[in-house]
Amino acid sequence: MFDVALRSAGGTIALVTSFDEKYPPENIIDGSLDTFWPTTGMFPQEFIITFSTLMSIGNIKILCSNVKELCIEKSTKTEPVEFEPLVEKEIENIDGQMQREEIEASFMIASFCSNIIHVIIISCSKPCRMHIPVTSASHLRFLIKSAFDHFVSIHNVSVNGTAVH
Amino acid sequence: MVVLRAKVIVTGDPAVGKSALTQAFHSDGTHFPKNYSMELYLYDSAGKEIFADIVQQHWTQPDMILVAYDMTNEQSFNACNKWFERCQAQKPNQSIPGALVAIKTDLKQRRVISTKQGREYANSKGLEYFECSPKDHENVEAPFYYLAKEFHNLYNVKIEQMKTLT
Repeated sequence: MFDVALRSAGGTIALVTSFDEKYPPENIIDGSLDTFWPTTGMFPQEFIITFSTLMSIGNIKILCSNVKELCIEKSTKTEPVEFEPLVEKEIENIDGQMQREEIEASFMIASFCSNIIHVIIISCSKPCRMHIPVTSASHLRFLIKSAFDHFVSIHNVSVNGTAVH
Repeated sequence: MVVLRAKVIVTGDPAVGKSALTQAFHSDGTHFPKNYSMELYLYDSAGKEIFADIVQQHWTQPDMILVAYDMTNEQSFNACNKWFERCQAQKPNQSIPGALVAIKTDLKQRRVISTKQGREYANSKGLEYFECSPKDHENVEAPFYYLAKEFHNLYNVKIEQMKTLT
């Protein structure tokens, strides 16, 4: 498992709805927490991260500020189309401070025994974490529906995963 | 190059000249300029009370406000506070940049609200005061340029704040 969203790992930004050349969207996937992508006004806003190939996703970490309603969708197609909802969350206001959101996929170990599937879910629960079923995606779409300010900043998104063979 | 976008509520009593102001600003002959760094999404809102509910459904997540009144109509001036409060209620924990615009400066003889009155109310609410006449196309652009500049300043301030986050 490694950060498959990283630019150095082949991750790219397929679409953004705001662009300021001084703060490019690639700042989201450069692995640095100091650089960021700001939205330039009005909501909703969105960005799409495209992976180098279809990835099995373990967890998603988002570092941002002023985000209120956040929605994540995934697509398994080659082109970033036909997105399906993955998770939707309203984040608490911590007044201009950095927000840390972690979304963990629950790993399912299934063993077959006389046609009954035993599912053991191994997950760790910490505050501010959301759980989603293990999923695969070649694109992730982050939709910022509303905010606590005129502008939001996305400092980093890391997606732990492995390539699906 | 950066393009900032801001939703601006244009509000005020009926017939004060909201649409005249918006249209005069919007349609000065340069409809689709290619090189710009600010888009204002102007929500020229109905001023009649019967539409108030439906109008406010379109007022979610505003960035700035323009409250207009007719300087020959005292009632429309008194109603400004109502419109301002309604818009501010959409963003209860945040002050939004705004302009107060006295319209119909062409009707000098019929003026009932003085510049002083307008300016005082504007100052009390943190709004910038403007006077204009969409009919004579006088000073029509000033309030919009002010809002655009304010929003740009706000963006720069917020960017500096974002830089300090780690």
